[in-house]
Amino acid sequence: MSREKQDVPMGHSDEADGIEEYDNALPAWWLGLFYFTIAWAVVYGVHYHFVAGRSQAGDYVAEVQAAEARWPAPDPATVAAADPKVLAEAGKAIYMTNCIGCHGPELKGGIGPNLTDAEWIHGGSLAEITTVITNGVPEKGMLTWGPILGPEKVAQVAAFIHAAGGGQ
Amino acid sequence: MTADSPAAAAPRYDDEIVKKFLLATFIWGVVGMLVGAILALQLAWWPANLGLPWTTFGRLRPLHTNAVIFAFTANGLFTGIYYSMQRLLKTRMFNDTLSNIHFWGWQAIIVSAAITLPLGMSQTHEYAELIWPIDLAIAVVWVLFAVNFFGTIAVRKVKHLYVAIWFYMSMVITITVLHVVNNLAMPATLTRSYPVFSGMTDALVQWWYGHNAVGFLLTTPMLGLMYYFLPKAAERPVYSYRLSIIHFWALVFLYIWAGPHHLLYSGLPDWAQTLGMIFSVVLIAPSWGGMLNGLLTLRGAWDRLRSDAVLKFFVVGITFYGMSTFEGPMMSIRAVNALSHYTDWTIGHVHSGALGWVGMSLFAVGYYLVPRLWKRPLHNEGWATAHFWLATIGIVLYVVAMWVSGITQGLMWRAIDDVGQLQYPNFVDTVIKLVPFYWIRLGGGLMYLSGLVLMLVNIGLTIAGSRPDQAINPSPAPAK
Repeated sequence: MSREKQDVPMGHSDEADGIEEYDNALPAWWLGLFYFTIAWAVVYGVHYHFVAGRSQAGDYVAEVQAAEARWPAPDPATVAAADPKVLAEAGKAIYMTNCIGCHGPELKGGIGPNLTDAEWIHGGSLAEITTVITNGVPEKGMLTWGPILGPEKVAQVAAFIHAAGGGQ
Repeated sequence: MTADSPAAAAPRYDDEIVKKFLLATFIWGVVGMLVGAILALQLAWWPANLGLPWTTFGRLRPLHTNAVIFAFTANGLFTGIYYSMQRLLKTRMFNDTLSNIHFWGWQAIIVSAAITLPLGMSQTHEYAELIWPIDLAIAVVWVLFAVNFFGTIAVRKVKHLYVAIWFYMSMVITITVLHVVNNLAMPATLTRSYPVFSGMTDALVQWWYGHNAVGFLLTTPMLGLMYYFLPKAAERPVYSYRLSIIHFWALVFLYIWAGPHHLLYSGLPDWAQTLGMIFSVVLIAPSWGGMLNGLLTLRGAWDRLRSDAVLKFFVVGITFYGMSTFEGPMMSIRAVNALSHYTDWTIGHVHSGALGWVGMSLFAVGYYLVPRLWKRPLHNEGWATAHFWLATIGIVLYVVAMWVSGITQGLMWRAIDDVGQLQYPNFVDTVIKLVPFYWIRLGGGLMYLSGLVLMLVNIGLTIAGSRPDQAINPSPAPAK
């Protein structure tokens, strides 16, 4: 390629509104890049599907397994056995960040209902409060907090509301 | 029409149609980008939605994208194509009536889009939102344009087809197929229809369309304009004929496969996702072939960049083309896409293409054509340079703000705290972080828009005849 002459006009200009064209060689690095990406495409495709045997569903399962190994789910027995006072202490901070907007700093309600009076719309036991927080009340605008907070934080904030609000 | 004898006088080209398309380009450009600026304001400051259904983000957003793609860009392409193809083929357009039906039909389609989209009439396919009667009108007008286009090629007075014409042909053929297939639908009422494809098939057809609308409306015909207007403006030969052939065929072959990269980590089968990803990466070199041929054509003309606004706009436009055709393939890689998808990074990417490559190149074409079409010098060359700097700084602000915002957004969405929970479970936490970048984006967009307004005023004053005494030589008559 290096022996080719550079910048030789092709003589088409009278057929291209006066635009002349050279026929210079393709830049070597450009051609190399093109061949490299083609080779990479073949290698990647074969490796992904046939050598590593990867798939989107497989990647998901592997990621979930890795997360479960790193952050094991809290043992339900431990959570249940935990001192409600300790749980409620931790739950206060979660309440003040996430719940205060609707239920107010004194738990007296606002957008959402009062949590300190005797009336419990969805039941006032610790288990019932936990269920309401986990599933939310979408028709009334309360978020489904289970996937946002996770079971441990739900247990903490439920303990706080149960204690501070005078649950049954 | 002229005689075939080479000694005959220069053919009388139809420049009136070019003038009409040129004015439509920049007037619609201002409209489309103004709507874009309103959207940018709405994202930074929600009361700008005005609480009216017609002015909410969800309805104005398709108005913005349709106006910029089909009003600004498409009219700009038609401007350059009608001007250059007559000269490259040494013949007047095949049929003036078809040219005028094309012009007025296209503008009527744009007006109908501007009415129906704010009213909430939509097919809900991105970049194909327009309802079926308008889709039908687009198909008819486009096919009439195709008849005129290929008719002109058929009656041409030259044997050799210059490379720009191939790029135009790839647009005319491919857009016809894409538009018709993606809009196949069963009408239910005058304003509502059901697509014939459903579920994942519909999504795949949609992104085959969406990606190749980028490929064959915003890319290949723009490269065709570059191959005509850049060597004309620089008065330099094209660097490599061979490179132009190879990158053309590689580009049109590879582009068509790359659509599935919009559907990574979706219900699309893994093998189809892989195809979309690897064809996107292989597109880097063919895209850069266009960039190289453009920049290397300027060898020996770089000194003229100091004074020539047309070349300035082209150089920045081509550079943005090279940048976004590298960024796009990178974003198509599974691992990168997992971070970038659904974030503002994508918005930054499309704007580096639309504002950087398409916008800057069309400004170059505009500044090249206005003095030649109206046969008088530009009203104010200094304003053109000011436009160049407003546009360049505006894009950089826009794109950098969206990179930072998009990567911040992607990282916040996936951040996990030390007990394995999402660190930012409330979406609004991420939005609050992004607001400052939305203001920067608005600033960049307003700079870009103000540059275009300056251009429009400059064109208006040129046409009004501020400097009529200094008539300049139009495009040189065909040799021999």
